[in-house]
Amino acid sequence: MWKLLLFTILAINHCNAVLEADANTLVLLDNLAIRETHSIFFKSLQDRGFKLTYKLADDSGLLLSRYGEYLYKNLIIFAPSVEEFGGDISVERLAQFVDDGGNVLVAGSERSGDALREFASECGFELDEDNAAVIDHLHYDVSDAGMHTSILTSAKNLIKAESVVGKHNRQADAAPLLYRGTGIIADKENPLVLQVLTAENSAYSYNPETSVKDYPHAVGRNTLLIAALQARNNARVVFSGSLQFFADETFTMAVQYAQSGVFHKVAGNRAVAESIGQWVFGESGRLRVSAVHHNKVGERDPPEQAYTITDPVVYTIAIEELVQGEWQPFKADDIQLEFVRIDPFVRTFLKQTAGGSYEARFKIPDVYGVYQFKVDYDRVGFTHLYNTTQVSVRPLEHTQYERFIPSAFPYYTSAFSMMIGVFVFSFVFLHFKEEATGKSAGKDDKKTQ
Amino acid sequence: MNRSSRILNSKVAGYSSLITFAVLLIAWIAGFSSRLFAVIRFESIIHEFDPWFNYRATAYMVQHGWYKFLNWFDERAWYPLGRIVGGTVYPGLMITSGSIHYILHVLNIPVHIRDICVFLAPVFSGLTSISTYLLTKELWSPGAGLFAASFIAIVPGYISRSVAGSYDNEGIAIFALQFTYFLWVRSVKTGSVFWSAGAAISYFYMVSAWGGYVFIINLIPLHVFVLLIMGRYSPRLLTSYSTFYILGLLFSMQIPFVGFQPIRTSEHMAAMGVFVLLMAVAVLRHLQSVLSRNEFKKLFIVGGLLAAAIVFVAVVGLTMMGVVAPWSGRFYSLWDTGYAKIHIPIIASVSEHQPTTWFSFFFDLHILVCAFPVGLWYCIKQINDERVFVVLYAISAVYFAGVMVRLMLTLTPVVCMLAGVAFSGLLDVFLQEDASKRTGSVMNSVSETDDLDESLEKKSLYDKAGKLRHRTKHDPTHEGGMSSNLKSIVILAVLMILMMFAVHCTWVTSNAYSSPSIVLAFHNSQDGSRNILDDFREAYYWLSQNTADDARIMSWWDYGYQIAGMANRTTLVDNNTWNNSHIALVGKAMSSTEEKSYSIMTSLDVDYVLVIFGGVIGYSGDDINKFLWMVRIAEGEHPKDIKESDFFTDRGEFRVDAEGAPALLNCLMYKLSYYRFGDLKLDYRGPSGYDRTRNAVIGNKDFDLTYLEEAYTTEHWLVRIYRVKKPYEFNRPSLKIKDRLIPPTNFISRKNLKRRKGLIRNRPTVVKGKRSLK
Repeated sequence: MWKLLLFTILAINHCNAVLEADANTLVLLDNLAIRETHSIFFKSLQDRGFKLTYKLADDSGLLLSRYGEYLYKNLIIFAPSVEEFGGDISVERLAQFVDDGGNVLVAGSERSGDALREFASECGFELDEDNAAVIDHLHYDVSDAGMHTSILTSAKNLIKAESVVGKHNRQADAAPLLYRGTGIIADKENPLVLQVLTAENSAYSYNPETSVKDYPHAVGRNTLLIAALQARNNARVVFSGSLQFFADETFTMAVQYAQSGVFHKVAGNRAVAESIGQWVFGESGRLRVSAVHHNKVGERDPPEQAYTITDPVVYTIAIEELVQGEWQPFKADDIQLEFVRIDPFVRTFLKQTAGGSYEARFKIPDVYGVYQFKVDYDRVGFTHLYNTTQVSVRPLEHTQYERFIPSAFPYYTSAFSMMIGVFVFSFVFLHFKEEATGKSAGKDDKKTQ
Repeated sequence: MNRSSRILNSKVAGYSSLITFAVLLIAWIAGFSSRLFAVIRFESIIHEFDPWFNYRATAYMVQHGWYKFLNWFDERAWYPLGRIVGGTVYPGLMITSGSIHYILHVLNIPVHIRDICVFLAPVFSGLTSISTYLLTKELWSPGAGLFAASFIAIVPGYISRSVAGSYDNEGIAIFALQFTYFLWVRSVKTGSVFWSAGAAISYFYMVSAWGGYVFIINLIPLHVFVLLIMGRYSPRLLTSYSTFYILGLLFSMQIPFVGFQPIRTSEHMAAMGVFVLLMAVAVLRHLQSVLSRNEFKKLFIVGGLLAAAIVFVAVVGLTMMGVVAPWSGRFYSLWDTGYAKIHIPIIASVSEHQPTTWFSFFFDLHILVCAFPVGLWYCIKQINDERVFVVLYAISAVYFAGVMVRLMLTLTPVVCMLAGVAFSGLLDVFLQEDASKRTGSVMNSVSETDDLDESLEKKSLYDKAGKLRHRTKHDPTHEGGMSSNLKSIVILAVLMILMMFAVHCTWVTSNAYSSPSIVLAFHNSQDGSRNILDDFREAYYWLSQNTADDARIMSWWDYGYQIAGMANRTTLVDNNTWNNSHIALVGKAMSSTEEKSYSIMTSLDVDYVLVIFGGVIGYSGDDINKFLWMVRIAEGEHPKDIKESDFFTDRGEFRVDAEGAPALLNCLMYKLSYYRFGDLKLDYRGPSGYDRTRNAVIGNKDFDLTYLEEAYTTEHWLVRIYRVKKPYEFNRPSLKIKDRLIPPTNFISRKNLKRRKGLIRNRPTVVKGKRSLK
């Protein structure tokens, strides 16, 4: 009985790691043996609450969506040699899946199939030629068979983003990563591609069986081992050139540089693979805006119609980060707010308040128009946070101007003295008696007409 | 004077007022009904462009009240700049129809504000003819007044701006103009403060209604100035002008849109100068009566020189310091017709700002344009204070009408008045005998008004001298034996001409000026049936139903008011062309390539782009035909990016076919207009992609849009709406095949409907019945 209880508690605990809605995951495999050879990786996902559905990549019953609803939020393709997916899935379908917000983790190998190559180019990178492998004659593992393709790459070649590769995996004393697979070439024009893991300076990607005839496609740091794409809709795709990277064998293997002889008890792969898994399926590095509020200083609600120019204004935005399956206030000190009308008129840092939300106070510029409060927070490894709130800023109403201005006092004086003067004059005029001649009386008549 | 003659006199007076009343009433009714063509043919609908804004503003005012309207900040116009409507509009029109609406509702007559707006201009045309009658009566005679009233009721030059549905400032402003002139002439004649204060109030109404008030505030000072030069100074002039000027100045500054302009801009300086001059003359006159001749001479010379120097230095100094603004561009273009074309393309781009063709003078005024010099000649021959005014009015209006088609409107009333004078003078000569006989055979208002004219003349005291001279001049020729045959021939000819005039007016009104322009009608050449193209409203209705409430729509500025009025969506630029650089930005977006304009459009948050395309039905007012103006306006602000010469062929032609300039064939406007047009075959024999408006097969048929997608195209392709894609729709910049380092293999799918299985290379196969040896 207590075992069952413990199990339930554990299960609940684990389920918390991922949001219920994001849990469904489809795993496409070359053969079902991969399920066993990569069980540690899959187990870690399951432990965090993912529901994995294993299918062969050429299964004729594959289905991503039904009745327009996606059955899965995440997709793992551990099928390097697939030439064509079965069932409903095709490269276009996969691209559509990414465009609709699905996350994909793909692992290739030296002999990657055509389907993977096409999908890679949809995401802005390429797998190197068939049979090409990453070779490094200086940094290879002792276990290497002589081709120098079981390379070791130091942890500092990981991308500088904690949310992608984990907090501790990039430290100087972290174990190197064992890699055996093909190189990835990134599209230089594509600003969205992240170079998650690169090879060492001395590496290149070429067919190890043949002699090097022409210049390799990828040389040194340009040889990507793991590439990622965070699309503009925040869907994430991770492409690894090596399926081996995620294998149980690699996770547990001891590594030693063949040249320098530096030894590590276990390769760094496991921790990195798990953090990458967390990132690609949206467990880490996910931000959202939970509430936006703006109002005039001293008021509670935003104005019904529009702000008036030079109003002091408070803008509050609550930003949350997904931590362990729970949305918690996000902490950063580099979030900026812009107040934009074509060009930004105000740009200021948002300060975190005690409640965890961010606040900025500023004076609306003396220019009327339609403005936007814009928060555009784009950091590597985090979802692109983009939030705009449109407000109108109107000029003063006719009653809002100053009624008496000091510089106009001469005019007020003249106006009032004139009025008094006319009043007095009319008294004098009416009560002044004179033996007037006919002519002058006529003139007066004319004037008062 | 015995009793019988008095009875006769009162009888005549009774008849004459009856006739006056009847003629004016008939003029009103005729004017009103001839303006209804558009309503009867189409429906009770607001026309064209500007009226849509006026209507929207009026509806807003009626709904929210006057103060809300005064402080209305319209965030849906000129996105993202916004527009303060209350401070940038002449509110007279809205107030007029708003108060009519209010009064009718107080009387429990529920009329929709739209109907009031539609019928406001026809109703005011009746008031215009009455005030024209009053003015002409002041200037010449009641008979001429009735002629003028009848003319102005139906003359096309005025109808063009005042048909039902043409809810624009001009509709009420011409009434205000004529009425102000009437009161002014009255006040000059009488020298009474009452009438000139009335003139100032009427001027106030005019200022609140139309920017053309500047015409009044320059013409009246001109009148005063010319009178001074002619040595016709009188205390009456002093009283009326000083009252009018001061009150008018104060009143006009109450309109928020006018504000301090009357004391700060050059257009208004003439009035102030004349005021000062008039004061100086008055002072001199007074001194002349006080001082001796010699003293006065000295004072005159010294004082005159000193005053001239001071005024000159002051004006130059103030202009240099920027206190007095120099002439605005629109006014420069009045003096130099080529000015706008070079410096301000946005003014020149409007068709109604083009110089007038001689043809349109006849088209708009018909016989009146011939009779008008005669009337002018009559006035010059028998000049007096107020006729000086009408002469100046005529001369300046003729000049301005020649400069701009639009100002034909200010010419029309004076032409009607002077033609009325001419016809009245003519009939004075030829109907003199018949007046006593009263045959009744002719039985038109013309003959009767003329004897009414005489009877009133006897009573008119102020105009006696002029009239008598006029009579004595004609009497001898008249008695000199003109046969009655000749007279009747002349009269018949005149009547014939007038009849032709009426026919012409009706024809022009019906054919040229009664199209709402948002609904087009054309006659089918095969069966003669009448087809209605309602594409504009179709598109605007689509926008209002299918786009987000805050969707921002980019179009050329001509359609801004219509989009705001009918679709109720945010526009970037509209017909209130106050911000040239914003319009230039839109012009630049239209004339750049798709990629470049996409960055402009995203920076302006554009959601939809709307273009007008007439190539399918042969509608010539479409955006491609306006395109060169967009290029010119964009070039004015962005000369580095846009060059007009790029859009012409080497031989300097603007053409859309295969020989067209590449810049043109690849710009956004071209693509949006002709997207998918290359696939369209309009008739069986012709080639596909044949543009009926420009009579050419388009040059760039086969292209796709990257950054926009077609959202809606109306039935006749007249309006095409495109949606601008959002940045996240270009989710992942994928690698193009040509950019790939590793050439793709030519993989051919083996999947089909039945066989859904994929393919895995080197798939391990299970061989049954064998056990691996171990």
